[in-house]
Amino acid sequence: MGQQSRFLKIVALLGFIFLYAPIVSLVIFSFNESKLVTVWGGFSTKWYAELFRDPQILEAAWVSIKIALISATLAIVIGTVGSFVLIRFKKFRTKGLLSMMITAPLVMPEVIIGLSLLLLFVAMQGLIGWPGGRGMMTIIIAHSTFGAAYAAVVIQSRLVDMDLSIEEAAQDLGAKPVRVFFDVTLPVIAPALLSGWLLVFTLSLDDLVIASFVSGPGASTLPMVVFSKVRLGVSPDVNALATIIIGIVSLGIIAAALQISRSKKHGAER
Amino acid sequence: MTTSQPSTAAKPWDTPDAVPFMQIKNITKKFGSVVAVENVSLDVYKGEIFCLLGGSGCGKSTLLRMLSGFEVPTSGQIIIDGEDQAGVAPYDRQTNMMFQSYALFPHMTVEKNIAYGLKRDGLPKKEIATRVTDILSLVQMDGFATRKPHQLSGGQRQRVALARSLVKKPKLLMLDEPLGALDKKLREETQFELIKIQESLGVTFVVVTHDQEEAMTLSSRIGVMNKGEIVQVGTPHEIYEFPRNRFVADFIGSVNLFEGRIKEDGENHVVIASPEAGTDIYVPYAVSGVEGQQIAIAVRPEKMEISKADLGEMRNRTTGTVDEIAYMGNVSVYHVLLDSGKRVRVSQSNRTRSNEDAPTYGDRVNLGWAGRAGVVVTA
Repeated sequence: MGQQSRFLKIVALLGFIFLYAPIVSLVIFSFNESKLVTVWGGFSTKWYAELFRDPQILEAAWVSIKIALISATLAIVIGTVGSFVLIRFKKFRTKGLLSMMITAPLVMPEVIIGLSLLLLFVAMQGLIGWPGGRGMMTIIIAHSTFGAAYAAVVIQSRLVDMDLSIEEAAQDLGAKPVRVFFDVTLPVIAPALLSGWLLVFTLSLDDLVIASFVSGPGASTLPMVVFSKVRLGVSPDVNALATIIIGIVSLGIIAAALQISRSKKHGAER
Repeated sequence: MTTSQPSTAAKPWDTPDAVPFMQIKNITKKFGSVVAVENVSLDVYKGEIFCLLGGSGCGKSTLLRMLSGFEVPTSGQIIIDGEDQAGVAPYDRQTNMMFQSYALFPHMTVEKNIAYGLKRDGLPKKEIATRVTDILSLVQMDGFATRKPHQLSGGQRQRVALARSLVKKPKLLMLDEPLGALDKKLREETQFELIKIQESLGVTFVVVTHDQEEAMTLSSRIGVMNKGEIVQVGTPHEIYEFPRNRFVADFIGSVNLFEGRIKEDGENHVVIASPEAGTDIYVPYAVSGVEGQQIAIAVRPEKMEISKADLGEMRNRTTGTVDEIAYMGNVSVYHVLLDSGKRVRVSQSNRTRSNEDAPTYGDRVNLGWAGRAGVVVTA
């Protein structure tokens, strides 16, 4: 028993080292005085200062956040409508096809999504003149498209679990279907909407491939800027940037975990 | 068994000119090729507690859902208080439903749950508040107004669900297995409270249940359903003592069915030859049938006597061997193997704390029952 638990502890420890050692070293080296990334030259925060003086990075970060906010919100709206149709509507002829199609972007290679969207945008511009050129708008459209697929998966599972009689009870008490949706369905699936939103927000912030395809001049996202910088050699200010992102993401995860454990304790999930 | 009598008239269903409050006329519901409800006609009178009783899949829930508007009948008509319900959406019907799962809104407090229906009717805030308070005290849940459903026990949720469905003063309240999720003790208490509440408000109840005990206790009348059809409608007493066919006899309570043929068809009696029972069974009333007709006698276990001594005074007698004894405290149920191989259940109430003469395993025993104890079932 003791033997086994020690073995498990060692395995767990190795696993965590494997996962987190690179991140920890990145954080440590972000405080490196030296310009050489692999040589420790003493503690310093100068790369952070440098980072905040770099207008290119700040601009890109702002663009990324705007894109992520808008596309996460759009994706949730599309995902909710799609899930509702797939789960609540009676069987219709193309239902199976539709449910496969809505999740297809999950398994489709990003390169293909990016390329096909690019071709679509170019063709649309030629035909109807919209979207005029490539930039933030096209990235938002692209991110909401694949984000909606992720959102739909999260929301569908919640809708399936939801007790249908709650909606029927609201109808029985005199609420018309639209009212039922806003009064009952939406509040009940709200946790799924929130976690779906966070998921799409992160995916959008993170995406490099699709954004590179559909972006145009003047709309570089943070990953695109980081990637182009790294191609010229890893500079320590990228480490600093990464550390800040890790910090923000960790805070977000901790907040989400606290929220989940609190709602579980109260049994709000029933 | 206690039965609650509707407050308006003693027995409106026996009064020829009484107008039914709800009429179901030849309702049929098909799901594809599956017939869930077949040609059901039913009259329910004002102030009744009418129970639809049947096993799972018998169509009782589908019938209830058609009354509340969640399912559209394939054919037939539903009339509630003189109004045809065809094409009336669930949210426009003046009926309410208490769901089996209670279906409380998890994100709303008890108060808001109950007020929801009143708000949809656009009642003034003040009236909503008084009505919520009143109904909460009726179901003895005052002091729980600001709780959320997940902070309540099963019994408390049941009360809130009842309050929510009653607060709109529906013409008809439908209850889907209202006590199904409660434990036995709580269920028994709640049954009588439900009757009290129903009597004080005078709302007509239609209850769906698979629990025959619940149906017997609650209802003014019971409609027994099987395979989408109503097989018998009657008071609990009628259903229990005069089952119309084998299904009802067997479904309600437990029963011993002796198959046989009419041997002697007298003016005020019949004698039925039943090799299964090992005796000729005498029934002291006339039966519509011809000699030689296949027929069955249903005898309830509690209406039979069991003894090691002779039961000479009993009209019908047979013998067998005790195979099993189930001691339930208030009664003991004996499983007796007749010489024909037929198994018979006989229950005896345990009036004394111990009985030396009580039959035990393997004993040869005499069984007997009075002529009027058995019911002839032809169908």
